[in-house]
Amino acid sequence: MNTTTQVSDSALVSLYIAGNENAFEQLVNRHKNKVYTTILLIVKDTYTAEDLMQDAFIKAIHTMKSGRYNEEGKFSSWICRIAHNLAIDFFRKEKRSPMITLEDGSNVFNTMAFAEDSAEQLQVKEDTHARLRELIQTLPQSQREVLMMRHYADMSFQEIADATGVSINTALGRMRYALINLRKKMLNSNIAYDKNLYTE
Amino acid sequence: MIKTSTQNELIQYVYNELADDACAQLESTFMHDDELAEGCSELLQLQSLLDSALKSPHECAVNNILSYSKSLSLQS
Repeated sequence: MNTTTQVSDSALVSLYIAGNENAFEQLVNRHKNKVYTTILLIVKDTYTAEDLMQDAFIKAIHTMKSGRYNEEGKFSSWICRIAHNLAIDFFRKEKRSPMITLEDGSNVFNTMAFAEDSAEQLQVKEDTHARLRELIQTLPQSQREVLMMRHYADMSFQEIADATGVSINTALGRMRYALINLRKKMLNSNIAYDKNLYTE
Repeated sequence: MIKTSTQNELIQYVYNELADDACAQLESTFMHDDELAEGCSELLQLQSLLDSALKSPHECAVNNILSYSKSLSLQS
């Protein structure tokens, strides 16, 4: 467990604007997985997702360096919203069909500690997580959107309500149904609530 | 049967968006409402599972971002 006090995002942004590149590196490493996953769940292609992730951070760099960054909001919500908008723009421009083509089979979840896992256990975890991402994509669009905005893009329910033009109760209801449906789909797919599958 | 308003509160609770007084009230309800406590436990497990589904980009994509930022700093 990490017992050191973590520097806040806000402090890292200030340091970065003052010219500290290490602060930016920390920000990127702290948020890259959420930004990447947010995009990946929309564009469904790992290479495109990496390109758009780079675009999102480059946009953020320009905003921060030019002094236009608004410190009122959370950095995580802000960067994930940039990523979400870029992914939606890309999706609309490309008019992609919602094919599920997520896995290229080459990546492991390097955010997790797998040192004690056997190759077979590793494969089970990879398969489970890949299947879960596929199931998220089969949720109705309005539910998937709220789940991604809240869980991966770190937006509050009020921010989601404002962004999607609905009441906070509707946003909460959509999240509730997203989780209920996801749970049902998991049970139907034999993805059990097995802690060994997701503990770090 | 858990009321819809309570289910919404449960979601706000697991995402740390419930006001302190409402949190305290919900936590005291857990003590005598097994169905609610079970619902909360399931939500927390789902949250963990969703966290584990996070995927990492390749290191080279991250390095591109950092290099771009450094190159801008050198220019200014």
